[in-house]
Amino acid sequence: MPAVTLESVSKVFRHHPALFNWLGRERTGETRALDHVSLDVPSGSVLVLLGPNGSGKTTTLKLISTMLLPDDGRVLVQNFDTRSDSRAVRERVGFAVATERSFFPRLSARENLDFFAALDDIPRKTRPDRVDELLTRTGLRDAADTLVMKFSSGMYQRLGIARALITKPAVVLLDEPTRSLDPGSAAQFWNLVRELPTQGATVILATHNFNEAVAVGNHVAVLFKGSLAAERSLPATMRVDELRSFYFQTTGELEEVEPVVVRSVR
Amino acid sequence: MSTVSLFDKTAVIVRRDLLTAIRYRTGFLLNAAGAITELAAFYYLSRAVGPGFRPEGLEYFSFLLVGTGFYTFLLMGVHAFLQTVQEAQQTGTLEVLMTTSTSPPVLVFLSAMSAFAANTVTLLFYLAAGLLFGAPLHPSLVASLSVFLLSVIIAVAIGLIAAALQLAIQKGSAVVWALGSVWFLTGTMFPVQTLPKPLRDLAQVIPITHSLEGMRLALLEGAPLRGVAHELLILAVFAMILVPLSLLFFSWTLRRARMEGTLSFY
Repeated sequence: MPAVTLESVSKVFRHHPALFNWLGRERTGETRALDHVSLDVPSGSVLVLLGPNGSGKTTTLKLISTMLLPDDGRVLVQNFDTRSDSRAVRERVGFAVATERSFFPRLSARENLDFFAALDDIPRKTRPDRVDELLTRTGLRDAADTLVMKFSSGMYQRLGIARALITKPAVVLLDEPTRSLDPGSAAQFWNLVRELPTQGATVILATHNFNEAVAVGNHVAVLFKGSLAAERSLPATMRVDELRSFYFQTTGELEEVEPVVVRSVR
Repeated sequence: MSTVSLFDKTAVIVRRDLLTAIRYRTGFLLNAAGAITELAAFYYLSRAVGPGFRPEGLEYFSFLLVGTGFYTFLLMGVHAFLQTVQEAQQTGTLEVLMTTSTSPPVLVFLSAMSAFAANTVTLLFYLAAGLLFGAPLHPSLVASLSVFLLSVIIAVAIGLIAAALQLAIQKGSAVVWALGSVWFLTGTMFPVQTLPKPLRDLAQVIPITHSLEGMRLALLEGAPLRGVAHELLILAVFAMILVPLSLLFFSWTLRRARMEGTLSFY
């Protein structure tokens, strides 16, 4: 049984402009974010979602997490439908959103995690240990009792990852998780993601970073203008430039990929 | 959801709100100072008006104390629901909260109840300060509590409607504005009987009018349960209409926001 299934899923965002649209120029019409996308994500895999901005990566993750509901088609998480069994889905999914500041600013990192853990039905007795473990794994142990309003972007990002993992979810959704991380922290994070399938989790990671995709993924799906443009496995031997070529050939964004020119700095 | 976990969730929400409140150190002190200043103003206003003015046979300062204290409490309670959704939208926590195992209506309800608890403390502080200014309270405990509980249930329902409107059109403030602008019809600062007939009739369809009437009878005149039966009956009818209506409306707007992807719009 796949961990996540998308069955011909479509999602359209309609733009409702203001009453007096002649005063400004607000967009009208609609945006087709996903167009009949079908995808199976095998259990225990790390699926990397690649695609340019606006291709539907975040929409896909939000649909899986129940933040959004599909207009057409079905999204299933371990066979639970996000429409009819949304609670069962929410119990199985952890989502590190791209919005950095999705925390309560005047609570510390520890207090924030404890809060979300309680809402996720983690018993009071086990919460402190679980929170401590995740703060350590995400490198936030020293900042555990700092109010998060004093956090840097990278620290917010790490806290978001800790929150996504708090319930030991069966499916972990990561939206550009290393966007604000320094190279060392990103490498540390990639190790953490590689561990997740060994603990039984399935990971779906949206990124623009080919290094990240090759470092952690074993499947890749390319979304382009709301459609699934390609899907393939990512063998451990795959190089970053191979993936880059595959991506650009699929999307046709660049007809020919220029070789990387390394300039010497005088 | 078990009672234990509901209790646990209530505890973490109350803790979050308490910590946030006390960490806005200046704001906390200013609120307390504001309440005392307001009471002082009412005290001197009632002295300026003179002892001859006895609305509904009550001493004017006591009339003002219960009217403004309880009216503010109910209005702030309604506002709490709106604020819960608004703050979560602005901090980016709403979407994340909606993906926890706790169902959205329960979450909004618990958050707002926490705010109600804080407002109850403010109300008690207000009444206690009123005693220091010499207001003669003769509370009938059972009658006061009955009026209080039914009024809170109605405020919860109106608050849910405000929260739902915030989700639907990002303008839940319209409900608070509407409720705030009819204060002069509800007998907050002067008796409803002094209004012209059409406005008196209009006042009867505003639940707060009956809350204030019942609370004055129970708190200032020591009326037993039977003495406030008429007000309790009217409040119960309002509750029976508004509670299911608000729950249906909130569920509908939440689903609509998930369909349209507007959960985090504000």
